[in-house]
Amino acid sequence: MIFVYLGYFILLLNFFLYWRGFSKYGKTFQYLVYYLTILVIAQVSMEILVLQSIDNLYFVHVYFIGQFLCLGFFYKSLMKTKTQVAIIQYSMLAGCVILIVDYTINPEQFFKFNLLEIALTSLLVVLYAVMHLYNMLLEKKQYYYLTIGIITYLLASTVLFFVGNLTIGLSDAVKFLTWTLNSFLIILFQLLILVEWKKSFYKKAIKN
Amino acid sequence: MLKNLANEKEIVEIIFYISGFFIVIAVTLILFFYFSRKKIIQKELEKKDLEIQYQKELLSAVIITQEEERKRIAQDLHDDISSKLNIVSLNSYLLTAPNLTENETLGITKTIIELTSKALDNSRKIAHGLLPPVLEKFGLHAGIEELCLEFSSSKVVEIQYENKTSFDITDNDRHLHVFRILQELMNNSLRHGKASTISIVFEKKNDVYWCFYSDDGIGFEMKNNENQKGLGMKNIESRIAFLNGKITFESSINKGISVVFNF
Repeated sequence: MIFVYLGYFILLLNFFLYWRGFSKYGKTFQYLVYYLTILVIAQVSMEILVLQSIDNLYFVHVYFIGQFLCLGFFYKSLMKTKTQVAIIQYSMLAGCVILIVDYTINPEQFFKFNLLEIALTSLLVVLYAVMHLYNMLLEKKQYYYLTIGIITYLLASTVLFFVGNLTIGLSDAVKFLTWTLNSFLIILFQLLILVEWKKSFYKKAIKN
Repeated sequence: MLKNLANEKEIVEIIFYISGFFIVIAVTLILFFYFSRKKIIQKELEKKDLEIQYQKELLSAVIITQEEERKRIAQDLHDDISSKLNIVSLNSYLLTAPNLTENETLGITKTIIELTSKALDNSRKIAHGLLPPVLEKFGLHAGIEELCLEFSSSKVVEIQYENKTSFDITDNDRHLHVFRILQELMNNSLRHGKASTISIVFEKKNDVYWCFYSDDGIGFEMKNNENQKGLGMKNIESRIAFLNGKITFESSINKGISVVFNF
């Protein structure tokens, strides 16, 4: 349980630190801030719903789709060539269309983990992050730690979310094991976001 | 039973997704590797092209300087020696003329002697300019001392020369390059820099010779000069390359120039 709250704490810290630079570092940075905002909203509302004993699973969809859109736009604004921008644009569009079609056919998926949604959104974001890594190969590192964090966390957590529907049926003793692992991964991810802020924006923030 | 079936279906679905997940990861990895390799190799090629281009430029600079040097020598020979020898030959021819008074013979002989000594003097100067004998006989230190003397004899510039090490005379082939570099630098300081003091310091650190050169001339903007290096600069660079050394220039407007190189 301590892991979960430590993760929340770093998330809130990042949220606060990044918000302070919202109007200073351009559009790319703003997408990042939106992403953190969605994380905070998702976590806080899920926590509140749990406290009131209401099923909070559908907030997972807010998290996945919000993450997909924010990070998609984030990486799109970082791309260097027209082809790369087009790849991201069209794959995002295609992803959204597929999800809409999927939900119109099977609306009941809204109340559990939708595997298609998890796979599609996470893997596309990982793909964008890898494209960004490729761009950084011979150039100055930009959002390097964040990208590393996104790739590791999304890959690891995707598998955890895949088995999410199964764990619901498990006994309470082992049920939370995967989620403890997940919160541990969240801490790592948030720490990397913090490192990113320290490396890229700390000095600028001090100057102002 | 029904629940079991649903459960199994779910498990199969998860397995299906997970294997798909790994396939996507594998493909992404392979693509990433493939494109990265391509990118890196392309960059490497570009670098090599640049290097070749640079080498070509250096080579052409060497050829051009060689031609200019030849032109200069030809001109020196023509102006200072050939012309005088011409008159000597004319005068000698006059001597063979019959019915010369003693006075005339004396006058002609005097002219011949004067002209030959002048020609001799000039030929010595030209030879000296090509390769100072002091450098060859007494080594770099003496060569530079003489160079400084020549420069300061013009009264325009004051030269502070300090040598904290000694040079091995068997290494003279390399020292000739150092000498030429200093000659070029001093010429530049005087001609373009309008310097009034020049300082040259030699030091030896860990078996490597270092030369610190600086003047108080008008200097130049580093950025502007980076792209349009003159022949002299290219010459210096190719000599440094011969010496396996490194050279750094530092200068800004009205701050003079300071050059450090090792050999």
